[in-house]
Amino acid sequence: MDIAAAGPTSPLEPWPDTVDWQPVSRDLIWVELIRWGMGAAAMLIPLGILWGIFGVWPLGLAFVVVLVLMLWRFWSIFRAVRAWGYAERDHDLLVRHGLVVRRLSIVPYARMQFVDVSAGPLERAFNLATVQLHTAAAASDARVPGLRPTEASRLRDRLTALGEDRAEGL
Amino acid sequence: MEVIGEEPRRRLHPLSPLLHGAKALVVIVVALSWQTLREVGLGFFALMVLVVVIGAVIMSVVSWYNTGYHVVGHELRVYEGLLWRRTRAIPLERLQSVEVVRPLLAQVTGLAELRLEVVGGGKTEAPLAYLSVADATVLRDRLLAIARGVSDVVPAEGAAPVVGPSRVPGDGPVLLAVRNRDLVISQLLTPQALFLPIGVAFVVVQFAFDPSWSFIGVASTLTAIAGVLLQPVRRVLSDWNFRLRHGDRALRLRFGLLETRSQTVPVDRVQGVTATWPLLWRGHRWLRLTLDVAGVAGQDTSGGGNETDRLLPVGTADEAERVAGIVLPGVRLDALAFVPPPPRTRWFHPLAQPRLGVTLTDRIVATRDGLLTRTVLMVPYARIQSVRVVQGPLQRLLGVATVYADTARGRSAALRDRDLAEAWRLADDLARLGRAARAAAPDRGGAVVVPAQTVDPAAPPLPQPSG
Repeated sequence: MDIAAAGPTSPLEPWPDTVDWQPVSRDLIWVELIRWGMGAAAMLIPLGILWGIFGVWPLGLAFVVVLVLMLWRFWSIFRAVRAWGYAERDHDLLVRHGLVVRRLSIVPYARMQFVDVSAGPLERAFNLATVQLHTAAAASDARVPGLRPTEASRLRDRLTALGEDRAEGL
Repeated sequence: MEVIGEEPRRRLHPLSPLLHGAKALVVIVVALSWQTLREVGLGFFALMVLVVVIGAVIMSVVSWYNTGYHVVGHELRVYEGLLWRRTRAIPLERLQSVEVVRPLLAQVTGLAELRLEVVGGGKTEAPLAYLSVADATVLRDRLLAIARGVSDVVPAEGAAPVVGPSRVPGDGPVLLAVRNRDLVISQLLTPQALFLPIGVAFVVVQFAFDPSWSFIGVASTLTAIAGVLLQPVRRVLSDWNFRLRHGDRALRLRFGLLETRSQTVPVDRVQGVTATWPLLWRGHRWLRLTLDVAGVAGQDTSGGGNETDRLLPVGTADEAERVAGIVLPGVRLDALAFVPPPPRTRWFHPLAQPRLGVTLTDRIVATRDGLLTRTVLMVPYARIQSVRVVQGPLQRLLGVATVYADTARGRSAALRDRDLAEAWRLADDLARLGRAARAAAPDRGGAVVVPAQTVDPAAPPLPQPSG
């Protein structure tokens, strides 16, 4: 903690003075909440029914544990969505996300192999889309969810244009 | 059938189906196992094998008849299949390495298999099995010449295929030859080989107490022992007579006893080099170098499955320096000054903490890891695909983070547990240095107009080897 506090760098906002971080749309919270709700229901309802039928304590314990985890997840969704961010620098795209495990990816445009724009039914309902940048390295992790379709297309076009400019592949 | 003006499609060597059939024979016998042999008796076993082998040969003949390949522009096209026709166009700009493999039977018959590694292929793409050795060599040199860039193969393009290997990476002087004695000793100094006596003793004791000497029992035991010994023995067999040549921006590796492989890797396609110092080799001060090439099959590093990534199966520090100096010009293994992570990360690695380390030189990022088996992974900046900073919850408590430099091989150099401020700086440096390295040495040699003074890392002033 000592050193981390000394520097001007916070884990979530690296280089705040030089990088212009763009947040993702707050509507992503709703998408995530609905996903969370479905996941929670899928786990809690069967557990609750089983608990009600058999009434043994391990099932009750499992129910409570899952409930606590789910409530914690519920609470963290808001912050997690706020933690997503991306920034287009001159030569690379920065993406940061994650609360428990914090991740920052720096992907040079020149390394881009292709760009995915996807929007699932939930995302479409909230007028959102996800842009994902793929490089030759499978580990590269540059996914930006929760973009407005216009912003997503703009980002895609810009990435493709920059990628073509600087195409070096491998 | 072919478009006029295109080079005609060529077939594989007519003996190929027989070789495939022979290969199937081995697979079938293994698949049927001793168990089946006992159950059905020798005669019927032989009949079963015969039927399946004949079937395999017929299938191979059909597939041979329908397989063809030719070079179109910058692509190698491979046609195959009778019912499901498949045409693969392999862009040669993406070529990472070419291998001429000669299994035992192919050596007897004078044939060879050509394997291409391209990026994005999880497995070896387009194994052309089999060609005659001369055809395979000519095709390999031609593919490499096309892959190296448009500019230097302009005359070779189109209708006139290069017949003589004139402008191709020639067989340079032997840079390094691994002594077979060292190879055997090094493989005896592996856990598997050392545990073998224990296993044999166990089996002997078991037989002594329960003497059920049946053919099946002995055969099964031998099979089990062979299974344990498989990896060291396979290493010895496959790395036998290891010769490393370097010529015209490409590495030529040739090795193998039963199956000789001759692998050609353009130097600028090397994604990373790993040096490993196994614990048991310390007495001899030996180390092993392995090569990361994008797209080489067998991405799992768990088993001994990585058959195609060796650079130096066993060698002394001097030899390793020489080899590493070719692959990563200007890098000296013993001159890398590693900086360990901050002392507070002892909690994560109680013993190994001082052994971990990171260093950035002018060309590569290197990480050191491991307490007993020490490894150093070196990745050239020019090969970095992306940079990541990851901080887990425990790392956050200690104010550290791990920086990853991802390469196309799928392996990432992990700069573990660096102080947070340092991690940001490292990430920034890696991104910046990667950009600079790419700008200085574009990967597409001929496709881009390169200023004359550009430093080309692939063409170093080659130190003449003494051997």
